[in-house]
Amino acid sequence: MQIRIRTSMIGAAFGFAIALISGGFAGIFAGLVAGLISGYVVPQAEPLTDKRRAVGQGMIAALVGSVMTILGIVLRNMGIDPIIGEPLNILAVGIAIIGATILCVLVCVVMCVVRTEPPARERIGMAIVVGIILVTYPWLDQFLNLRFMNEVIPVLVFLLMALGLNIVVGYAGLLDLGYAAFFAIGAYAAAMVSSPHFGLSLSFWLAIWVAAATAAIFGLILGSPTLPLRGDYLAIVTLGFGEIVPIAIKNLDKVSLSIWNYPLFVDVDLTGGTKGINPINRPWLPIIGEFSPSNPIPWYFLILGIMLISIFFISRLRNSRLGRAWTALREDELAAGAMGINTVNVKLLAFAIGATFSGLAGAFYGAYISAIFPESFRFDVSVMLLCMVILGGLGNMSGVILGGIIIQFADRLFLPQMSNVVQKLIVASGNESLRDINFASDFRLLLFGLTLVLMMVLRPQGLVPSNGAPRVLPVAAGEARHD
Amino acid sequence: MAASHTRAVRNVPWRSIGKIFIVIFCVLFLTLPFIEMVKAMIADPQLLVRQLLIGLTNGAYIALIALGYTLVYGIVELINFAHGDLYMLGAFFSLTLIGTFALTPETPWLVRGPLLLVVLIATMAFTATLNMLVDRWAYRKLRGVGSRMAALISAIGISFIFQNLGLLWGYLRLPFMHGVMGSNAVAPKSFPALFPNVNLLAGTGVRFGAKDLIVVGVSVVLLAALYIFVTRTRLGKAMRATAQDRDAAALMGIDVNRTISLAFILGGALAGASGMLVGLYNGTAVFDMGFTAGLRSFTAAVLGGIGNIVGAMLGGLLIGIISAMSDQYISTKWTNAVVFGILVIILVFRPTGLLGDDTAQKA
Repeated sequence: MQIRIRTSMIGAAFGFAIALISGGFAGIFAGLVAGLISGYVVPQAEPLTDKRRAVGQGMIAALVGSVMTILGIVLRNMGIDPIIGEPLNILAVGIAIIGATILCVLVCVVMCVVRTEPPARERIGMAIVVGIILVTYPWLDQFLNLRFMNEVIPVLVFLLMALGLNIVVGYAGLLDLGYAAFFAIGAYAAAMVSSPHFGLSLSFWLAIWVAAATAAIFGLILGSPTLPLRGDYLAIVTLGFGEIVPIAIKNLDKVSLSIWNYPLFVDVDLTGGTKGINPINRPWLPIIGEFSPSNPIPWYFLILGIMLISIFFISRLRNSRLGRAWTALREDELAAGAMGINTVNVKLLAFAIGATFSGLAGAFYGAYISAIFPESFRFDVSVMLLCMVILGGLGNMSGVILGGIIIQFADRLFLPQMSNVVQKLIVASGNESLRDINFASDFRLLLFGLTLVLMMVLRPQGLVPSNGAPRVLPVAAGEARHD
Repeated sequence: MAASHTRAVRNVPWRSIGKIFIVIFCVLFLTLPFIEMVKAMIADPQLLVRQLLIGLTNGAYIALIALGYTLVYGIVELINFAHGDLYMLGAFFSLTLIGTFALTPETPWLVRGPLLLVVLIATMAFTATLNMLVDRWAYRKLRGVGSRMAALISAIGISFIFQNLGLLWGYLRLPFMHGVMGSNAVAPKSFPALFPNVNLLAGTGVRFGAKDLIVVGVSVVLLAALYIFVTRTRLGKAMRATAQDRDAAALMGIDVNRTISLAFILGGALAGASGMLVGLYNGTAVFDMGFTAGLRSFTAAVLGGIGNIVGAMLGGLLIGIISAMSDQYISTKWTNAVVFGILVIILVFRPTGLLGDDTAQKA
């Protein structure tokens, strides 16, 4: 009982947070999200078999979720809005509360019931529920006036990268602290071939493959020196590469390369230096035409499609011979080698495949914002991705997605929106000394840092632990020490 | 240990593919620039000596930070990722105290000298306490369970928390601080020029200022004190014993947790001292300066042989000189990449470092 309420607090916290940052009808959406996440997480923590118990559990979780959501709606509309001088619309608050409760209960109970079905049907049922919400989301966003759309797309890009990082860190157990480098490499590879920069204006659909392939090749090249290293030394070397790549990109705007005395090329602007590459071609499809920056819906479906295909591939990989080899490698490299696993190839493949997804994400991101700069791929991006993977649960794809959503939501939506509200509150209260604190950017690092430390100390298996949680983290007592 | 195991199990030439890559890359692209660099050095020896002296000063403070990495790694085999940021917090703390004491370049030396000493000791106490508390709250529980990855991730988290603390510190504008934090919280903070800026080698065409001498002198005193502490005292002996074999040390009646705390305290104190010295030497401190300094110092520790105290001092000196050379003869833009490159090359080719002992091989 206690565990159930504690797990459903994850969804409830989302409901509360979304309701708090967005006034008006948006509360309905908060209830939907609370129900969706609770309905996902609660049966995960405790397997359900009996339909009636499932309904009961779903009701409890939904109750917690909707109470928190309503609390958020009330606090926002009746506590904060009057202070910052926005009119109170009782009708909207009433509709938001009723809508949020109905949606939360409905979604949560349906998802709990679906979980009791046999695995094959369960998967289809889950796909239908989640699919409906994902597909209708852009219109829901417009209808409820959420204005989250422009943030949801980068969130999906980072989720895609987190899934790729999960292959390297979660499956193969190789702590990679320079993962953002592959994001940069993918983005730059795509930008170079699909922009006027070199006069090679390839289509986006080709460039994205170039990006994936380049990232994979760099995954092999940068992964190969780390083969004999383990644990923290591996982490530091990847960190070193992760720092060298942006420095190199920033300074490769006037490259002269010669092998001994034979010049290969002289003063070539390879990466555009600090100015980056701008503009980059946008994708084009029949009927839709060229994707425009003002209409995010095609972008949303494009990245959603890439995500779904990636999730499909990764889950197939997970259960393949290679996936099992990764697990073996993670648990005990020595034993894996003794069992006939070619540890060299398996490690390199983990780096290359992990990098591929990051490359895809980079290519998409570059096309989406139509420009890339070397500064966007620093160490904090790598650490943020690591946070996403660790928060949800290392080696568990749904956990990584949940953790990623939490971190990204907090970083991109909650903190900036909250910052606006707090700023207005401070202005209203007339306290001058706090006025220049920027709540959006001044607490980001604290958020990442606290996530990492608290997760490691309190719950190293993550919010949604996978059944075969990796042994690289202190999951069970009495493990063999490896030195 | 691990390295020898893997070699025994599987002697595939493919394992060294990365080394081959690096060698080919170096031979193809770096030989000629390197020859050019040496030519430029010989052409102007005065410039070379000047850069060497700059390298010496940088090396002194890098060695101070590197010792913190080496002490902790030698005992608990944790790369204390937050160590560089501790150095940054040391600089911020000392700046706050300097503001509180209202020290300016006009303060007479009779007052300034003792107060600077007080600031130095207070800063060292502050960072030492902070490091000890962090060890207790964030690392101790993760010790000995599973692999060392959990503690490393926790350390990265602490590093980010420290950086954020440094950022928020910039908003601290208490009336008694005499406005040392400036008006912009995120911008670099400037230190008053409290060290005399006279050139001790005037007339030779080479520059070695009094402030360089202070930095090098204080560093050398601290390094010597630490060396004597570790090699000559009972507590130092306990530290060495714990580093060699934690379980055996515990059986001999050594309080292992307290000894580990001691390593964190000593490392923290040196990082704080370094933060204050660098702040006063360069005149600025920024909240994100710990990352680069930390990585340079970690490279120094690895170069000297991690876990080895003399190695860390030597490594610090070498890294200081190498980065000064890179600043002059390559470009300041590439210096960080050069240092990271050196780090990668050492870890790949000789993980035990120059004066390496067995601890490094456990990685």
